[in-house]
Amino acid sequence: MKSLERSSEAIPRWIIVAFSIISLIGFADAAYLTANHYLGTSLNCSLFEGCEVVTTSVYATVAGVPIALVGALYYLLIFVATIAYFDTGNLRIMRFAAYFTVLGFLASLWLLYLQLFVIEALCMYCLISFFTSTALFLLGLLVIKSCFSEVRPP
Amino acid sequence: MANGSEQNLTKKERYELRRAAKQERYDYKARNRLVKRIALWSFVALGIGGIVFGVIKLGGNPSSQEKALLVDAVADSDWTKGTGDAEVILVEYSDFQCPACKNYYPIVKQLTEEFADTVQFVYRHFPLYSIHKNAEEAAWAAEAAGRQGKFWEMHDLIFENQDEWSKEGNVKETFVSYARDLGLNKEKFLADFESEEVQNKVTRDYQSGIASRVNSTPTFFLNGERIQNPRSYEEFRALIGGNP
Repeated sequence: MKSLERSSEAIPRWIIVAFSIISLIGFADAAYLTANHYLGTSLNCSLFEGCEVVTTSVYATVAGVPIALVGALYYLLIFVATIAYFDTGNLRIMRFAAYFTVLGFLASLWLLYLQLFVIEALCMYCLISFFTSTALFLLGLLVIKSCFSEVRPP
Repeated sequence: MANGSEQNLTKKERYELRRAAKQERYDYKARNRLVKRIALWSFVALGIGGIVFGVIKLGGNPSSQEKALLVDAVADSDWTKGTGDAEVILVEYSDFQCPACKNYYPIVKQLTEEFADTVQFVYRHFPLYSIHKNAEEAAWAAEAAGRQGKFWEMHDLIFENQDEWSKEGNVKETFVSYARDLGLNKEKFLADFESEEVQNKVTRDYQSGIASRVNSTPTFFLNGERIQNPRSYEEFRALIGGNP
């Protein structure tokens, strides 16, 4: 019991809160894009959201699986891991989530590159996802740092 | 009383009693913690379920929440195709630089051919100024060609070459070359292109779109009522054909 309390203090509370909120925003965003992919009926350019050039491009799916769905599962995994850490205080879960954000960040960079230089169009919801994954990555670095600075109980 | 009875107990019995009390406290704590955990995870599951439900509702039909009606009836100044006394009228608000509009261009064109005798098609400009820098000038070019009787020809050329002129800095030159290809008088085309009359026409179309609550392109109104953009030619055909 004592070691659990120790480890939950290893990572500042605000990081955990930010991690869960941002991953939830990312999940809602990616889930919206996924729903739009499967159920969306309109194909158009909108005053506020730009055109659906990006989400309907050939780059929007990999082997038939929409990237939005992969993104939604990624954010969901991060969110659930954060809650699991909050619940159990097991540092390993949080460290796993933190390392995982590196992958998410790299994927986001690649997608941003595609939007800027290949498709040459931006999609608002994709940009939101870029910001959430970048924020998670930066927070993830803090998590990893505080994991290492913590002297592990024998 | 308690003291007295406790003194009567043997050492082992006292130990057992303390142990039982401790166990009870521990059980209480464990139960408490279990309740908290169940509450936490139910909350999480509910939250995720709520989000999924929400996005399915939102993402499924983004524009179906409100029924929008066409405000401005078809006028003489509108560009139309098909028969004038048709019972079915399809009005399109479109933006020449919009890739989705380009996707609909062959669909609508095929419809205008198949239903030439029964449907009237109307094209109105709705250039999305904020995201498409050349859209407005493309609309002017089509209007200017229209002043020489070749609106639809220019309309087709502009859509077919969308990739070419969309990113250009000086798009006027390109449109002048299209006018030349169509055999139009270059001087008149240029004069019309820059005329207030043509530019006001495009602005009026845009305003009428705003009045009909158009906020994306292409937006279609079938007999005055906004429709969800059909996803294929067949779907579109059924929608029009199904009308009396």
